[in-house]
Amino acid sequence: MEVLKALAIGALFGIGLYQLLRRNIIRSAIGLVILSNAVNLFLLSAGAYDGVVEAYAKATGQRSDALPQALILTAIVISLGGFAFVLSLLYVISARYRTGDSDEVKGLSG
Amino acid sequence: MTLFAILPILIPLSSAAVATLLIRSPRLQTAWAFGAMVAAFVSSAGLLWMVWTSGQPLVYQMGLWPAPFGISIVADLLSAFMAAMVQFVFVFGFLYALGAKDKAVHHPTFYPLFLFLVAGLSGGMLAGNIFNLFVMVELVVLSGSILTAISDDRYGPEAAYKYFLISTIASFCLLFAIGSLYISYGTLNMADLAARIAADQDQPLLPLATVLLAVTFMVKSAVVPFHFWQPDFHTASPTAVSAMLSSVVVKLGVYGFLRMTTLLVPHAEWLRGALVALGIASIVFGGLGAAGTHNLKRMFAYSTLAQIGFIHVGVGWGTPFSLAAILFTFNHALIKSAMLMLSGYLASRAPIKTAAFSVLRGTGKYAPLAGVIFFFGGMALAGIPPTNGFISKLMLFQSGVQAASDSSFAETVAYWLPLLLLGVSSALTLIYVFRAFMRVWWEPFKPDQPDAKVKPHGDSPLAPGLLVAVCLALGIWAQPLIQLAQGTSAWIQQPRAYVQAVLKQDAGVIR
Repeated sequence: MEVLKALAIGALFGIGLYQLLRRNIIRSAIGLVILSNAVNLFLLSAGAYDGVVEAYAKATGQRSDALPQALILTAIVISLGGFAFVLSLLYVISARYRTGDSDEVKGLSG
Repeated sequence: MTLFAILPILIPLSSAAVATLLIRSPRLQTAWAFGAMVAAFVSSAGLLWMVWTSGQPLVYQMGLWPAPFGISIVADLLSAFMAAMVQFVFVFGFLYALGAKDKAVHHPTFYPLFLFLVAGLSGGMLAGNIFNLFVMVELVVLSGSILTAISDDRYGPEAAYKYFLISTIASFCLLFAIGSLYISYGTLNMADLAARIAADQDQPLLPLATVLLAVTFMVKSAVVPFHFWQPDFHTASPTAVSAMLSSVVVKLGVYGFLRMTTLLVPHAEWLRGALVALGIASIVFGGLGAAGTHNLKRMFAYSTLAQIGFIHVGVGWGTPFSLAAILFTFNHALIKSAMLMLSGYLASRAPIKTAAFSVLRGTGKYAPLAGVIFFFGGMALAGIPPTNGFISKLMLFQSGVQAASDSSFAETVAYWLPLLLLGVSSALTLIYVFRAFMRVWWEPFKPDQPDAKVKPHGDSPLAPGLLVAVCLALGIWAQPLIQLAQGTSAWIQQPRAYVQAVLKQDAGVIR
């Protein structure tokens, strides 16, 4: 289970970073969301330090650290606001530049 | 009494919420926001005074939960000084916005967002909890990029998008670092964290967390190689905002490094080395970049890169004397905000609203007073005697010479190279600032269209004028500020005092 989780976090990071580096600005915004989920999953697994289970416990006598879950909740809310802002920016940029290619959005270069 | 520690955050944050409700009545909203900003500055100046005279950090525990469990707001001398600096500069930012002719400052959410920006900045500097720091950093990023996106400059959204993308990646780095530190040490309180890191430095995730924290603060302070968004962002934002971004928002990263090198990971020698190396790179890139631009605002944005480089070199040296780079931080904030406001003023008077030299050439003839302000501000930026810029460069130079004479021959390179660059960069600053001065004030006014005229009225030059007057006053009467900076540097040399002040608190002590 631990290995599976580590692989999932790594895969999400890889996919998110790859999408973030794409030239299409919409893809890079999607990459941002995937990255934020990867970080949140990592934070969730941070609740399992020192032999404590991370999210919830089925067996009796096991307890989970609630603090990382509170952190994730805060991070989710913040990234929701950020993503709404990015989407509105994408709308403005695509309307103004008539393209979604980040190489074409270069009014400020030079 | 301890409630005073949270007032510099509470006042702008709650006033921003109220200002959002006042959208329907713009005049009331403006007056309310300015009043709130002045009140916030009074509270942070009072906080600085209380901490300085009592000699004790002021710690407020949210909800009166004791230290490692509840959220701490810690006002030691560094935090209080930085918060007071931020709010002092922001008062002038508001003053400029009041007299600005931009469409952006009449946007219904401009003043609430501006208040959120200052709340986030002061909150980040007063936070005693590393996750609280993350929340405040996010507040700064969001409000800063929204303020840029509503800019009059048509490239505002593009600059905001670049900044938001890179800053969000930095925020993920910070979040990742927080997670790693929590796995390793099981705490988020900075004082508790510092004590536990000092007790056990062999946790496998500690180097990763250190690197991620360093990357976060490097992006925040826009140091080479994380600087590429900075000139765009600081050029495209509305003048009142860009003056704040380039002067105090980048100081959040400087504050982070001061905390890292003295409190959290004082044993990480490589971090100091990296700061000196990247500081040197920033000085070179910033100086050359500023000399090569065709836009006044962009020139000052690049100049910020070089000046932040000096501050990082001072922090990286880490000697008690060089940590008075805090003084450099304060003086740079004053000078840079004044110069950017002045560029905005010139742009508002120009036939087309832009700070490009091709448009500004010769327009200075119609703004002689701004020329006087620009002249003294340029002297302060280059570090010429009767200004505060000279004092800060002198302090840095002295500390470098002193440290070089105390160290072995191989180590002296780390001191002499920045010192040499300090001289070269000052000369370069003098060249590019006064080349800009000559272009705007000495060359004849020859617009491309023959009917183009300089506008009779623009933004109010009151705020930059007052700031430059403060720069001159602090250059002549520098003693109190130098004492404050040296006091601050002495405080952050003793992380034990910080840790004890936070952790000794229990619910019974707080009143």
